[in-house]
Amino acid sequence: MNQERDADGLVEAQADSIEENSEEGGADGREPVPPRKRRWRLSRRGFLIGLGAAGAGLAVGAYFGRPVLHEVMAESFAEAEHAGSSFMQLPDDPPLWLEVLEDSRIRLSLTKAEMGQGVHTSIAQIAAEELGISWEDLVVVQADTSSRLVDSFGTGGSFSVASSFGPLRRAAAGMRNLLQREAAAILEQPENALLVEGRGFAVADDREKRADFHRLAAAITDWDLPDEEALQLKQADEYTVIGQSVGRIDIPDKVTGQAVYGYDMRVPNMLYGAVARPPTLEAKLLSASPGEAAKMEGIETFLIDVESGFAGVVANSRSAAWSAVKAMETEWDEGHLWQQEEIEALIEPAGEGGVTIQREGNAAGVLGKEAAISATYRSPFAVQASLEAPAALADVQEGQVTVWVSTQSHERAKGLIAEALGVDADTVQVVPTYLGGGFGGKLDTGVAIEAARLSKAARAPVHVGWDRSEAMLHGYLRPPTKSVLSGAVDESGRIIAMEHRQGSSDVAFSFMPDFMAFVMGADFGATIGARINYEVPNLTVTAWRKTLPVWTGWWRGLGLFANTFAVESFVDELAAEAGADPLQFRLDHLPDSPAGGRMRAVLEAAAELSGWGTAPRAGRARGVACFASNTVVAQVAEVSVDAATGEIKVHDVACAVDCGLVVNPEGAMAQIEGNVMWGVGSTLIEQAYVKDGRLELNNFESYPLLTMREAPDVRSVLVDTGIKTPYGMGEPPIGPVGAAIANAFNAATGRRIRTLPMTRTRVLEALAGGGS
Amino acid sequence: MELNVNGRSYTLDVPAEERLLWVLRDWLGLTGTKFGCGVGICGACTVHINGAAVRSCLMPLAAVAGAEIRTIEGLAERDGSGELTLHPVQQAFIDHQVPQCGWCMSGQIMQAVSFLERNPLPSEEETVRAMSGNYCRCGCYVRILQAVQQAAGRAGEEEAAI
Repeated sequence: MNQERDADGLVEAQADSIEENSEEGGADGREPVPPRKRRWRLSRRGFLIGLGAAGAGLAVGAYFGRPVLHEVMAESFAEAEHAGSSFMQLPDDPPLWLEVLEDSRIRLSLTKAEMGQGVHTSIAQIAAEELGISWEDLVVVQADTSSRLVDSFGTGGSFSVASSFGPLRRAAAGMRNLLQREAAAILEQPENALLVEGRGFAVADDREKRADFHRLAAAITDWDLPDEEALQLKQADEYTVIGQSVGRIDIPDKVTGQAVYGYDMRVPNMLYGAVARPPTLEAKLLSASPGEAAKMEGIETFLIDVESGFAGVVANSRSAAWSAVKAMETEWDEGHLWQQEEIEALIEPAGEGGVTIQREGNAAGVLGKEAAISATYRSPFAVQASLEAPAALADVQEGQVTVWVSTQSHERAKGLIAEALGVDADTVQVVPTYLGGGFGGKLDTGVAIEAARLSKAARAPVHVGWDRSEAMLHGYLRPPTKSVLSGAVDESGRIIAMEHRQGSSDVAFSFMPDFMAFVMGADFGATIGARINYEVPNLTVTAWRKTLPVWTGWWRGLGLFANTFAVESFVDELAAEAGADPLQFRLDHLPDSPAGGRMRAVLEAAAELSGWGTAPRAGRARGVACFASNTVVAQVAEVSVDAATGEIKVHDVACAVDCGLVVNPEGAMAQIEGNVMWGVGSTLIEQAYVKDGRLELNNFESYPLLTMREAPDVRSVLVDTGIKTPYGMGEPPIGPVGAAIANAFNAATGRRIRTLPMTRTRVLEALAGGGS
Repeated sequence: MELNVNGRSYTLDVPAEERLLWVLRDWLGLTGTKFGCGVGICGACTVHINGAAVRSCLMPLAAVAGAEIRTIEGLAERDGSGELTLHPVQQAFIDHQVPQCGWCMSGQIMQAVSFLERNPLPSEEETVRAMSGNYCRCGCYVRILQAVQQAAGRAGEEEAAI
């Protein structure tokens, strides 16, 4: 298994040059071949595209634009179906392809960004499986925007493996089929007498007779797509690569310092840029001038454009640029100086504009008559805090713009850079690098536009890397939420009615045109996790979209963490009302459906893993919570509470997940562990708030992250309920963490905290009988 | 200004107040050392100065002139034939599939190596204490702990063999 990257150090290492060089074969004196002309042909069902190509020959691409993505999204977000059309621009070119190299290895070019989720490895496993080749004979390349691979969706939503799985398998099987057919002709054997051996086909009974892939690919001149129905895809019990814990292909470079990220990009003669930042949430730039910065050493140029609110500087070192931008004279209209109380008052799940996203029976009627309980849950702003701050290197030349950037959406960056520079998008090449964390935050491409504008002004390559304060203050945040839950149980302990009124500012809607928000009604990003997955005869879930003066948007799991905290805390409160064991109460309310069966499987697995029903160690208590989308997750947290200091210690989280087919079990476990750490950090520590018109954020002293000292042990189990396609794993396990801890806290103390994070102050208040 | 990094000597014309992190990254091109916070909290920029783990983002260049500086790029050993032998801590990080995004990993590894050089057979509690100053946003803490403990075991075995 090898990995080539198109951002491997200096400027000459671009994907296209790697590609063309490898085809020129200069070393063996062959004539260089001209850049190939690719002709894509859509097959009948629209997801397999064949390629007639010069040079090295055959390539096969897979298209997973509308049909597959829409299908996957519809499964995750029931609301998305109501949109009627996809909100993303549909690609004309496939987002991944396979091609045969001169040395008969097979290269997989893909658009999905590697940000630590192991997606390059998982997708490569799927391709190797259907091609029937060994892991070492597959080369993975991250494509840039000049590759003619188009992926308008970007990398996120835990969709990468799920959306690639079907199309990639069909493409790989189709390619194998074409090669096998050609091998049969060349070797004069029936197709079924051949097998893949090394980098080619051999006659099964006479292995001396063989033809390498490259020879076969070059021989295919007039190609004919295999009938997709006739493709012999492997059955799940035949898999030898899928389902194996293979070593991630990006890891060796990450332990030796060789992996190259956006912040690391370097080209000769590059300069460094920095941009003045608004001092308040609503600040508008009134005037700007170089001021004292003009006299500083190392300054190359200034770019001031008051109309677009831009005041930046280019210098010969990063330190000089950062010092200079602070010394520039800028005048701002600060606008309204917002306070936290005003923000919180806006997130009220009431009034006009509520969109009901789930309804059974008549919840309001029942709750009006029966003895009902009600509780209010809140979550704060939070930042993604990728440890690699946003960074980009831009080289703007006449007729050719190249930008290297850590991004979850290089296709989107390309369009926005072209727009900002006023150039044709075809002249813009965006090269994605490794990401030092994404977590939803790097769908923003602001830093790439800043680098491009400054490069144009300086007439030189310019790198812009945000400092920590910029990274915290100038991206979008996880929205604050307020959930009001009401419910009633009858004498037999059954839930007879539930209502969830949920208020949040935008997640997905921050990135969509207004008309789409109008069509879709509720923001699927804000409401994920808000639904009730239990059998409740009278049920209403209503979401209120609230607009805030703070930019909110994508964050790991979207609304999942906050909504599951609210819903699954309240389910425990109903269990207490019914006098039932929280685990048994949940099991008793599962729907009699395949989805209910999967929830049962993970709840029981997590219970077993945690020792639910046995006495925990002295001083500790357990709490359970679960979440169901297409991936279902159950967790049991074991905590202790220091009544003197108010510290909650999360000792252990047992996590059971059914994410469908698991491609790389070790990688899946790592995603569970990471999600649990995120959940613990958000439950106990992380919060941002507004004061005097600005976010009270600067660096990690004002927004500390979880450290190893507070990290729980995580034990996880992957539950197989027989599903043969993969679902997402990058985000769902974050869902239940908050509620599992809150429920364990309640089990330990008899108190309940309904406002996140559960700081020591809030714990001490709750123990004293007050608080939230 | 003379700078000794990974056994190589560099003569540089850099403002004396420039921080070591940016000199390593932007002047010498050793981008394996990462910028995380710039204020010494997160540990992504950890390097060794005369064997001690320090935060290079806070270290003025003038303070390290003449010192032995080691970065992640200088940790693995290359023998005469060009074969690379990873440091046991690096190998343990691969064995346990520790990194996710990888941005903090140079700092984690440099912190662990320095710690194990001083305390070759640490208890788990000592390891947690030593590693708790290094943030990992991806949340790889369970695996970092396992890997450092594994590397410590190896270091212990080697010592026993001697």
